[in-house]
Amino acid sequence: MNIVLEARELRKQYQDKLALKGLNLQIQAGEIFCLLGQNGAGKSTTINLFLGFITPTSGAAYINGLEVASNVTRVKEYLAYIPENVMLYPNLTGLENLSLFSSLAGFKYAEEELMHYLVQAGLPAEAAGRRVGGYSKGMRQKVGIAIAVAKHAKVLLLDEPTSGLDPKASNEFSELLLKLSDAGTAIFMATHDIFRSKAVGTRVGIMREGELVDVLPAAGLEASELEKLYLNHMHV
Amino acid sequence: MNKLRILIKFEWLNFRADKGLLILTALALLAGLYGIYYGTTEIERQRENIAALEVLTEQNVEEMKMKYPGDADAGDLGYYHSTFAVNHPDSWAGLSMGQRDLNPYYLKLRLLNLQSQLYDTENINPLKVLSGNFDLAFVLVYLFPLLIIGLCFNILSVEKEQGTLPLLLSQPIGPALIVGAKLVFRIILVLGMALFLSVLAMWWGRVVPDVRVVLWFGVVVLNCLFWFGVAFLVAALQKNSAFNAVTLLGVWLLLTIVIPALLNVYVSVKQPVPQALALTIQQREVVHGGWDKPKGETMEKFFALYPQWRDTAEIEGGFAWRWYYAFQHLGDVAVADLAKSYEEGLYARQQLVNSLNVLSVPVNVQGVLNAMAGSDLPAHLDFLKSASRYHDSLREFYYPFLYRQVPFTHADYAGEPRHSFTGSPDFTTIYSGLAKLLVSVLLVFTAALLLFKIRTVTVK
Repeated sequence: MNIVLEARELRKQYQDKLALKGLNLQIQAGEIFCLLGQNGAGKSTTINLFLGFITPTSGAAYINGLEVASNVTRVKEYLAYIPENVMLYPNLTGLENLSLFSSLAGFKYAEEELMHYLVQAGLPAEAAGRRVGGYSKGMRQKVGIAIAVAKHAKVLLLDEPTSGLDPKASNEFSELLLKLSDAGTAIFMATHDIFRSKAVGTRVGIMREGELVDVLPAAGLEASELEKLYLNHMHV
Repeated sequence: MNKLRILIKFEWLNFRADKGLLILTALALLAGLYGIYYGTTEIERQRENIAALEVLTEQNVEEMKMKYPGDADAGDLGYYHSTFAVNHPDSWAGLSMGQRDLNPYYLKLRLLNLQSQLYDTENINPLKVLSGNFDLAFVLVYLFPLLIIGLCFNILSVEKEQGTLPLLLSQPIGPALIVGAKLVFRIILVLGMALFLSVLAMWWGRVVPDVRVVLWFGVVVLNCLFWFGVAFLVAALQKNSAFNAVTLLGVWLLLTIVIPALLNVYVSVKQPVPQALALTIQQREVVHGGWDKPKGETMEKFFALYPQWRDTAEIEGGFAWRWYYAFQHLGDVAVADLAKSYEEGLYARQQLVNSLNVLSVPVNVQGVLNAMAGSDLPAHLDFLKSASRYHDSLREFYYPFLYRQVPFTHADYAGEPRHSFTGSPDFTTIYSGLAKLLVSVLLVFTAALLLFKIRTVTVK
């Protein structure tokens, strides 16, 4: 078992609110773990803890065997991240933005390679040389996907990544995730999209009020069953 | 190092694409170029005026020769003939004019009493003095901080506000590297401009290259670094861009206007200086009173000071130039203590300013640059002392003609002493100012680093 992402009794307290209640989770290479939950359930908190953006109150998060809190910069070599709303440098072009983030990740790509990643992510080729300031949310999201893919990370953290994408682009993104998974990338995706979770997920977790209340294998599970289970948990 | 280079490169791309920053930088550069033009032009004008004074003196000599075709009485010449004490600008004065616009750079002198002539200057336009000098020092000390504020007020906050920080921090880099790269890029940009303008000003002003080149660069670099440190300190508070901009402008206002104004008031109260006007009035009263005093009494006082002329001929009749110049000089002697306390008061005031300028970096830096260019108050006081010595030498030149009653021939004009003075840099002020500046830079950067370390950077 090659566990690349792990949470051990991970807990986060914000002043008067316990945002995450002792999360235990292991995700293997090539696995896609979809985390469902309402707004404020603790999905983004979990991702932020894996990213090292916030420090846990107790417990620990691990990426590729390294504890995140004590290796904040180093663990970033192994992970890529796509936020719900990808924000880029508005004065730079799509190509320049991708070049910047790839360079920082340690990859030096030729312009043709950068273009390949952008087009693969669904960005029209003619938009790549334009300033990002004029991009729609969906176009920025595609650049964000290209940035994540070009990093060739072991772990992909996604926070509502298809937000702003049209159905066709969302579908293409799902196919891309499956390809990455086949290549051995572990994917952790926080989402509200039950049907996409079922379509791409290896396992689906349901989170409620900072607690992982259920984890189900996606295989053999109907979307309607998943929806029913999810709603049951939400109405407890 | 590689990542720092990458971030700096993209900072450059961002800067290049930002019209607002380009305009701000271009304005600062233009202000610097105008400052160089203003300073060098103004000092060149002073040089031309000083050169014209030599011509005026020679013309005056020719007029005297025409007025007195034969032998002349030295008393007449002492009264009608004038010469000048001149304060030549140092070759660096164009870069930092200091008080050269405020204080006279030449004095018209005759053999009459000195004190009234020391403070008898040309009229100047008070509005021009009020607006001050727009020289390179002004641009570097007062305007470059605004450029630095404009470039740095949002170095960290903009990443949060435009939402790029999460994606940036998901790369294997820390916030320190991000802020560091932004600061390094801006420091390279601003120091590049400041040093380019300095080199251009030195070349344009044809400065004599000496140790001051290094010192000037040192002051300019430290001054800019101080303001970068302030910007870093405010950025470390992790507030929004509006808060940062207002805070930084507040600090600029405090250090460049409020504290200097308060220092001015404090120094005036703490170190009062007798008015030059009071000195002049008292001296005039003594001189004018000389007309009514018995000649013997006046001459006795004078001979007590200059016994070498005691055995000269008796003064006869109603008027004698010897007697006239004696009571003129006694007027100076009568206010010597007042003149000394005025001079000492000004020096003491300068000392007080030098000890308090640690409260305001701009005041300190301006003082250092003026001291470097020989255009500060002590340099002017040195000029006044030099002018006094020159007046003494004029008296020593004319007294033998007056008291031995030797006719003054045309050939004697050539023997009349001429004056020349150039303010020299005050290295004590320069080095102590540099040390204070260095401490200020270290303090502000240490505080900023500590604050940056204490307050963990959050992505929102």
